[in-house]
Amino acid sequence: MKSLDELTSHCIRCGFCLESCPTFVETGEETESPRGRIYLVRSADEGKIAWEETRPHLDQCLGCRACETACPSGVEYGQILEIARDRLEREHPQRAKAALLDGLSHPGKLKLQLFLGKMLPGTKIPGLLSRMLSGEAPEADKPNPQPMYSWAELDESALPPVKGEVYLLEGCVMRVLFPGVHQATRRLLRRVGYTVRETEAGCCGSLHLHVGYLDKARSYAEKLAAAMPDDLPVIVDSAGCGSTMKEYGSLEPLALSLRSLEPLALSLKGENSGLKAQGSGLSAFSKRVFDITEFLLANGLVEELAKTNLTTKITYHDACHLAHSQGVRSQPRQLLEAIPGLQIVELQEADTCCGSAGIYNLIQPKMARRLLERKWRNIEATGADLVVLGNPGCHAWIAQAAREHKSAVRVVHTAELLESAFSGLPG
Amino acid sequence: MVEELGKLLSPERVLSGEAVARAYDCDAYTVDRSKPTCVVLPLDTAEVAAVVRWCVAHSVPFTPRGAGTGLSGGAMPALGGVVISTKKLNKVLQIDIENRMLKAQAGIANKRISDAVAEFGLHFAPDPSSQTVSTLGGNIAENSGGPHTLKYGVTTQHILSVTMVDPLGEVLEIGSLVPGAPGYDLLGLIVGGEGTLGVVTEAWVKLTPVPAAVRTALASFRTIRDATECVAAIIASGVIPAALEMMDKGVLRAVTAAFKLDYPAEADALLLIEVDAKPVSERNAAIPRPPDTDSDPNAVSPKRPTPNETVEKELSHVIAICNAHHAISIDMAQNEAERQKLWVARKKAIGAMGRLAPSIVTHDGVIPRSRLPEMLDFVYAVAEKHKIGVANIFHAGDGNLHPCFYFDDRDPKQVEAVIEAGEEIIKRCISLGGSVSGEHGIGVEKSDLLTLMFTPDDLRMQAMCKQIFNDGMLCNPCKVLPNQKGCVEHKKRWRGVGW
Repeated sequence: MKSLDELTSHCIRCGFCLESCPTFVETGEETESPRGRIYLVRSADEGKIAWEETRPHLDQCLGCRACETACPSGVEYGQILEIARDRLEREHPQRAKAALLDGLSHPGKLKLQLFLGKMLPGTKIPGLLSRMLSGEAPEADKPNPQPMYSWAELDESALPPVKGEVYLLEGCVMRVLFPGVHQATRRLLRRVGYTVRETEAGCCGSLHLHVGYLDKARSYAEKLAAAMPDDLPVIVDSAGCGSTMKEYGSLEPLALSLRSLEPLALSLKGENSGLKAQGSGLSAFSKRVFDITEFLLANGLVEELAKTNLTTKITYHDACHLAHSQGVRSQPRQLLEAIPGLQIVELQEADTCCGSAGIYNLIQPKMARRLLERKWRNIEATGADLVVLGNPGCHAWIAQAAREHKSAVRVVHTAELLESAFSGLPG
Repeated sequence: MVEELGKLLSPERVLSGEAVARAYDCDAYTVDRSKPTCVVLPLDTAEVAAVVRWCVAHSVPFTPRGAGTGLSGGAMPALGGVVISTKKLNKVLQIDIENRMLKAQAGIANKRISDAVAEFGLHFAPDPSSQTVSTLGGNIAENSGGPHTLKYGVTTQHILSVTMVDPLGEVLEIGSLVPGAPGYDLLGLIVGGEGTLGVVTEAWVKLTPVPAAVRTALASFRTIRDATECVAAIIASGVIPAALEMMDKGVLRAVTAAFKLDYPAEADALLLIEVDAKPVSERNAAIPRPPDTDSDPNAVSPKRPTPNETVEKELSHVIAICNAHHAISIDMAQNEAERQKLWVARKKAIGAMGRLAPSIVTHDGVIPRSRLPEMLDFVYAVAEKHKIGVANIFHAGDGNLHPCFYFDDRDPKQVEAVIEAGEEIIKRCISLGGSVSGEHGIGVEKSDLLTLMFTPDDLRMQAMCKQIFNDGMLCNPCKVLPNQKGCVEHKKRWRGVGW
């Protein structure tokens, strides 16, 4: 992991990031811009302002990393944000946030909470919880798990022979809330000749990493990497998770040179050389991680899709952690374009964050709501019947907008839409 | 102050505190910094006027600011006080396609103006490299140029009228919607006034048809001298390309890392050349008009070349000159995507310098194009003498240099060296018959150097011009004119002091 000093020194304050930043565009305030935040973090790191001064501005950051796409100097903003948030959490821990993450990242606990949540009145998450997290009234609905699809079993005789095995990240939130997406993903994998080797692996640590719990994220990373051995490809159908897993290398412990932790890192270096091997294992693991659309495109799903037909009008929303973090923009579009009959309308500001951003809509409900309404206006303007996207956070959040606006527009994962081309669009 | 301004606007649009003061203490000219007491975000002209009146009543300095992408410290609050941000004045107010004009608020990003009229085949021609973020107000203040300035002119040629708040808080309307209107050119003072004559809040701008045909080429040369001599020859031949941009090896290092440009390994300089042609009879096909007799846009008379023929002819002319100057390779953009790739690399090149060092200072001196070869030699010699890195990327067709020094601003010695090197370069520009600045403005950076360029009489009359609008004390102090009251201390404080 690089130092804040090194990471922030690449920003020369040209300001080319400003209009790419959703919170800057909404507020017009430079403290809510990437350039401003980098400057504040650098100033805190150099001891010129107190760390606590940076908190409201780092809290308001979505972590969408659209600024990284815009930045000509290649500033690794995502890493700056993660290290700075970690630093803040160490000095001034926010217990409600930690508890929330704990609940989300354990499928058992999440299911229990959903069960208990059902007994509470209203559609939104409980006001008390929201106030503990954000000091604001809640905006997000209580999560509602999707049902499995009632597609017929795949006809093995009509499928290509099995070429190999892959892992599928079942994850934590995805496993509970979007089992249908995983179902579609598995079917599509089989259609290009791959079966899924089952594991008990759970959370990837993405949510922890993004809000500033580096140690916790590292321990999840190591557990996950250990649970998926044998150099098999690791398929991910959640943009946020895929982004983190592809960047596990940055979590490698011995390179950790965050100023306050330097003494600790040095002491570890001397006594435990075993850690190093573990660290480089994370980098190697990252190279095996693929978003589902990357993998399907590379393995010939386009030819299969050409035999299908789906007559409907869709638009594609770029999840930030696909477009900006992973650079996955063309792959889903190429797959969608391969479906005969499908009409695709380009979405204005397609790669602007919808405000969901991990747990952002729980800890910054007001800004999340502003961004959701902006996204919704753009979606409505397309006249599409379906919004296609590749991340559970955006999925639930934009679906909530559709419900609130009493719209017939449906939100589906890219995998669900692709599988529907073969098996029919349910409902 | 914060409380009172909060009552004038609303409390959430008055920002203050340690983090705010820090975030607004400089623009993209990072070696001179000064903290504001607070930042206000007005929603309309009346709110700007109210803030200015409050500042005048309480003798508080105020500094207008758009996106803060300026390169000469123009939006830096030199004497503290209030920063008036235009970033909530960001709307298009009126579009008049028939007469090809548009009215927008000052805080709108330049590119968003063009986006708003793209469907009509029109655009706002000034295209500073920062156009995706820099604001209309900032472009007006600095009289911004850009790569296509060579053919289409700088900002002042594209502004019809402005609404502004003068330094005493009165709202003024300056200019007229008729291009080339009679009377004294007051608008010409405001455009390029660097926000020292008031705060522009709205403007009517001219819209220009998008060219009907464009060809873009990237020519590489073994030496800087070959490239610069080629530029001088192209201009001397009478062709006016839409853009003629040069990049040297220093810039190529950064740009290659950022945008993966392809060019021969032995190239020391690249020229980005664009030729274009306007739509036939300046008519935009997207604008429906009643049929008339004197020209039918669909039936071009055989004598008049089509836009495509025009650009091909110009292009072959330019290519012949490149070849005569030993170009190693000349690559054409084959489609709009390839053309955009070249332009993104060019426009974001200065921003990519962060790959080489933590800070940059970019100058923009202008020289006669015939002196480009010797000037470039001088720039490299100065950088070497001061032991700082320099990369050159510039509007070669205008003779507008952009030597970009890269260094570490945490080292006071390097900051000092960069400032000295910059002054040497500007002085040479002037002695070669050029200018201290082509488009970045004077700001705090170059005010002392104006005495080298203008006669005392000229500067005295410029100071009098400023007094038409105000007494010069509160509205964006310490910018443009040298030797202003109250600014000596500011200069002393930052010169040679590293942050």
